[in-house]
Amino acid sequence: MVRTALYVLGGILLGLAIHLVVILTLPQLATGTVATRLAGLGQLDKIVLLDTVKPGAPNPLRLDPELDYALCRLDLRSAPGQVSGTLPLSFWSVSVYDTTGSVLYSTTNRDGIGQTLNVGLFDPAQTRLLAEQKLDIDTGQLIVETKTDDVYVVVRLAPPQPVMRDRYAAQLSKLSCKNIKT
Amino acid sequence: MRFLFNLVLMLVVALAVGFGLSYYALNDGRLFGAVQIGPWTAWPRSGLPAPDPYTRAYLARTGALQLGQGEGMQFVATIDSDGNPLNRACRYRIDGNTPTATFWTLVPIAADGASIARPDGPPGFESGRIARANDGSVQLYVSKTLAPLNWLEITGNGSFQMLLTLYDTTIFTNTGTGPAPLPSIIREAC
Repeated sequence: MVRTALYVLGGILLGLAIHLVVILTLPQLATGTVATRLAGLGQLDKIVLLDTVKPGAPNPLRLDPELDYALCRLDLRSAPGQVSGTLPLSFWSVSVYDTTGSVLYSTTNRDGIGQTLNVGLFDPAQTRLLAEQKLDIDTGQLIVETKTDDVYVVVRLAPPQPVMRDRYAAQLSKLSCKNIKT
Repeated sequence: MRFLFNLVLMLVVALAVGFGLSYYALNDGRLFGAVQIGPWTAWPRSGLPAPDPYTRAYLARTGALQLGQGEGMQFVATIDSDGNPLNRACRYRIDGNTPTATFWTLVPIAADGASIARPDGPPGFESGRIARANDGSVQLYVSKTLAPLNWLEITGNGSFQMLLTLYDTTIFTNTGTGPAPLPSIIREAC
């Protein structure tokens, strides 16, 4: 009886080990992660509007059907990145994802940036150059330091009324996504 | 023979504990990083630059484009306030106040994330386009059959989920009193 109880205890401990292995390896083993989906959609230095979510249609990224989304991919190896433009006076937000799908930075237009979006993305080495004033950037540019050189920027825009959707999406598509000339 | 029995028992216990605990952690998750307010569940650390391993595994499992911490917070409900799974055959009333946010949306979806709203109607509720009571509270109806006040028609059969997304919210930044309450989901008729 005691021996059976010890085996059960061993089973519980082994189960906890299995649990930890499952939790820690799942992000690497999963195929339909946000990182792989962003990689499939994002284009280098180009704004891509994500399809509007239609009723009944697949929505693997779980996008909010009330919002419009713009996505762009940046490679910071050669130079810092910049996403800029003017957006309508409505709620919008910007978030920066790394290649694992984690959000490195996010903000909304309530943070005092109004209608003007101007985000500069710098890797740690470029941030150091920035601190040493060896890089010229726009006045008022929002400086974001990234851990990695490959990043995705997602801009969310909320049209106040459905009838304004096309006009807002057109404004979103005019955003600029590029590397800064240094 | 006894040794073989004990060995099999140990493996069965190990697999049940290992995979069962993992399933619980990534579905209910209350002991592992998820926050539950009534029927609503959220993973508050999903929008951080370095989420904990459980949140990271949850994000990998769902594949959803999560909001950054500075953008807002998304809550999912798969059950009503009495703990019964949401079913499209029933009429639900979402009743109460919402936390401070620039705006919010409430969208019914299927398990695969597809919107189940009527194809030629609005995809969900948006806080700026609903009628409210004098005290600012909301009464929203989600059902296949006609309902009063703010009504969203849904289609199809079987279970569903509701996504409540609060943009620019302060729900987890209140000091001392914990997160603000969220509306109840009340099943009215099936």
